[in-house]
Amino acid sequence: MKSVREACIISVIAGLCGVVAFFAHPKAPSFHVDELEVELEEALRFEEAFWIDARSDEDFEKGHLEGALSLNEERWEEQIVDFLDAWNPDAPTVVYCSSQACLRSHEVAERLKAELGVENVFVLKGGWEKLAEAGMVEGANQ
Amino acid sequence: MRRLGQLAEILVGAAFLWAGIVKLMDPTAFLSAILTYEVFSYNVSVIASLGVPYLELCVGACLVFRVMKGGARLLAVGLLMVFVILLSQAAMRGLDVDCGCFGSNAKSSEAGFFWPIARDVLMLAGIGLGMIAEGNANRSREK
Repeated sequence: MKSVREACIISVIAGLCGVVAFFAHPKAPSFHVDELEVELEEALRFEEAFWIDARSDEDFEKGHLEGALSLNEERWEEQIVDFLDAWNPDAPTVVYCSSQACLRSHEVAERLKAELGVENVFVLKGGWEKLAEAGMVEGANQ
Repeated sequence: MRRLGQLAEILVGAAFLWAGIVKLMDPTAFLSAILTYEVFSYNVSVIASLGVPYLELCVGACLVFRVMKGGARLLAVGLLMVFVILLSQAAMRGLDVDCGCFGSNAKSSEAGFFWPIARDVLMLAGIGLGMIAEGNANRSREK
């Protein structure tokens, strides 16, 4: 019985820390992840969409959507220069990563919005897996 | 025997502490790892991405500093069993999951599940050893 009481105390302490972290942690995840998401069918209807590959450099080298530019958190400072050179503010920007579980595309899209004021930015729902299902890409994905 | 049990529990506690710290450094990466298991909804995964690391930190600290040992053991066993079940179901379904055990690792193929599951079982054995050793020590003191 004592052990159960102690387990409850530890769980409550951990829960409280988790609540504080949700509001205070700089990298705390958000509940509203789907705000930027767009289905592939919808993305394909965009005129002159600018595609961004948020996966790792290694995955990008193995294969990527034709015309897509690599932009990931690991090499943000270097790759953002290429992005700014190629970016057309009038064209919608669509970011993808490996799958629906991958959140790298959300991080890149949110960073583009926050740091560069890119308004017309979307995240491809399903990412690379969706592109592969549609037969738009070939190559390994990790 | 008692010392060995204590040492095993402290090592398990240290592993929990490390796992919690690494996950807290990047909760989004851990959230991404949880989602690859395709078990929990997105909202539940968000809660777990912040709750589990703190639970691991608290359990680890209690085991290392020998505070509220009984409760910490109970939670450690619970957490480890959940981890083993999650990994096993992912292996059986042939999923490509990001273990997320110590932060975000590379994705594991079916063959890559052996070590994470073995590590969890080893940690369960460490807790078991600590409990047996303490039980024996208490019994001999009563005699």
